[in-house]
Amino acid sequence: MTSTMTPKRRKRIHEPARIPERGGRKLGYWLYFLPGALLVSVIIFYPIVRNLRLSFFHWRGGRAEEEFAGLDNWAALFQDQEYLQSFQNIILVIFAMVIIPTLLGLVIAALLFDVIGRRFGGKLSSFLRATYYLPQILPIAVAGVLFGWLLKPNSDGVVNQFLTFITGSEVTVNWLGGSYPTAMGAVMVLMIWIQIGYPVVIFMAALQRVDPELYEAAELDGANWYERFRAITLAQIKPEVFVVSLTTTIAAMKVFAPVFILTQGGPNKSTYVPSFYAYNEFVNGTDKGYAAAIASSITILVAIVAIIFIRVQNRSERKDA
Amino acid sequence: MRNRSRTLAALATAGALTLTLTACSSDDDGGSAETPADGDWSGETLTVMHFEGQDSAMGIAWDRAIEIFEEETGATVDLQLTAFEDLRTSAEQLFDSGDAPDVAEYNKGNATAGQLAAIGVLENLDAAYEEYGWGDMLADSVATTAQYNEDGIMGSGSYYGVPNYGEFTFLYYNEDMFTEHGVEVPTSIEEVEAAAQTFADAGVTPFAESVQEYPLGQLWYQLALSQADRDFVNAYQLYTEPVDWQGAEISYATETIAEWVDNGFISSEVTGMTAEDAGLEFINGEVPMFYSGSWWYGRFLTEVSDFEMGITNWPSTELTPGSGGNMWVVPVESEQPELARVFIDITMRPEIQALLGDSGGLPVAADPADITDEDAQALIELFNEVNERDGLSFYPDWPTPNFYGDLNGVLQGLVNGDFTAEEAQAELESYYEDHVADIRD
Repeated sequence: MTSTMTPKRRKRIHEPARIPERGGRKLGYWLYFLPGALLVSVIIFYPIVRNLRLSFFHWRGGRAEEEFAGLDNWAALFQDQEYLQSFQNIILVIFAMVIIPTLLGLVIAALLFDVIGRRFGGKLSSFLRATYYLPQILPIAVAGVLFGWLLKPNSDGVVNQFLTFITGSEVTVNWLGGSYPTAMGAVMVLMIWIQIGYPVVIFMAALQRVDPELYEAAELDGANWYERFRAITLAQIKPEVFVVSLTTTIAAMKVFAPVFILTQGGPNKSTYVPSFYAYNEFVNGTDKGYAAAIASSITILVAIVAIIFIRVQNRSERKDA
Repeated sequence: MRNRSRTLAALATAGALTLTLTACSSDDDGGSAETPADGDWSGETLTVMHFEGQDSAMGIAWDRAIEIFEEETGATVDLQLTAFEDLRTSAEQLFDSGDAPDVAEYNKGNATAGQLAAIGVLENLDAAYEEYGWGDMLADSVATTAQYNEDGIMGSGSYYGVPNYGEFTFLYYNEDMFTEHGVEVPTSIEEVEAAAQTFADAGVTPFAESVQEYPLGQLWYQLALSQADRDFVNAYQLYTEPVDWQGAEISYATETIAEWVDNGFISSEVTGMTAEDAGLEFINGEVPMFYSGSWWYGRFLTEVSDFEMGITNWPSTELTPGSGGNMWVVPVESEQPELARVFIDITMRPEIQALLGDSGGLPVAADPADITDEDAQALIELFNEVNERDGLSFYPDWPTPNFYGDLNGVLQGLVNGDFTAEEAQAELESYYEDHVADIRD
């Protein structure tokens, strides 16, 4: 059969389109690169460059003159109590969006896959997985309004009603307006509730690719659930744990919506987070340059954290290999 | 090496694109239509933006103004309704963009209209004031919020807006609950406290309040004003001299709030509540008193059905929070500035102003004889009482762009017990001075 094919035809099969050339160099790859580069430039690079530039100026906004400020705005950040407080809160947000959901996600995924899935069938575990994921698809504004309603301070609040029912005496905790621990705690609970479905879905998908024979062999050897979880589940889905930790840490560092919707940073600014602070300074402040410095500092920190994570992951993968 | 040169090439491309985009984003001055010789503007469109409910006094009056405008000019109006909060956060960008409305309602005060005037996104209306004589229709305290100097501070400088209604705060009370508990309408601060004590003793929280949003801040300011004179207001709002944050006026306000929380006159739950929550408590007949603004009046008349509602000015005070209402402004990017001025002038006509008054609003240029509705008259009477003693003293959050949030935050701390009165005052002083010190110098 091959002998009937002409060399010309064979050439057409291998090179269906000619890659444009200029000065002897192939330009083909660059053509494919252009649309992406254009989009990235418009959506990512241009705003970042403009924002970074603005952080070195004092600017009142609108058509007001920009005044060069050098490092003034950046220096001011380190003496700004609200800014430092907002970063302290990020540590709590990381607990709420990264640590607790990832740990709980691991346990829930393992239970759904290894216990529920095997004893009660795949349908029930899929249903439960979807239930955990539901808050992720709910618009955050809706979730915020829902939580605002649940956490109403007086006896109208569903949570207070529930606690009153359990304890037998009237409970009127001022969840969102109360002092530091309650307001931040309420925001954290919302974040955990929203976040938990994400690691569960990723980890369950990861567990699908684990060879069931491993579990069976371990079970035959007398390994209990915890031993199987530690030796097989955790070890096998390590890459996914990295990915989930990285993406949720980045999300935590730039978290905005739950704070905006539930507390507006209150009471007395105790639930401020950096991106809400940047937003507030941009919208209400008189120095947009300072707001730009806050926003730029978040971008830089997120980039640093992402690079560290990826390096640690690469090192761990090399070690495993 | 090859990889590196590719990366460099990619970065260079991205950089070049960024520069191209920067070049493309230069300002594009909006053109304006030419005045037709015969005053016929057929085929032209005027974009009007406001944030009042369509069944509110302003909404009703302005709908009528739009009808008259369309009849008289032949132009059509593209009415865009927005929300107060949405416009507050987006006006700075919107008014300086190609999507800017031709004329918009906007919040007044140093932190809002003043800020926009200072950064050059609002049209200077001095010539229009001269042409149409709007200045003669406005009381001095109302006109204060229409003028801003180059730093955006109200009370002097050029006109940047036209207020055509007024607003102020006073005490709403539930007459039925007053009768039930044998409480008279208070005429002194002692009587306010005695009334509150009667209700608290009966297990009823006397005041509907909230401090996630403005109501408690306005009560705090009213308490301070009750101990203050006009010089204090000028110092606080116009920065004429430093404000003594531990002085008699502010100490009285902060200490009274703390005391009222301790006495159960104000619930400590208000830190988690919004203005809407407080308003609903009053509408539902759960609390007998609500100190808030005239913007609730029309809604209360409609929605309060289970009891008789009364209104009275805060007793024992010369000064009251209030001002000209929000104003019409013309963004610099307006494509129809001339038509915008024609429209604003129609909203100032006696028939529109009377309609605004009769619908429950506070007209600034109406003939009182034209107002026929009894409830409207009651409100206007109360407003006139404040104006006769030159009492309008603006709002507590006007001094700095962030002060609304700062004040609510600190009062939340005060109500929660996180701050003593003195600490709350020191905290407020630092926020205030942070912005005002530079301007005062």
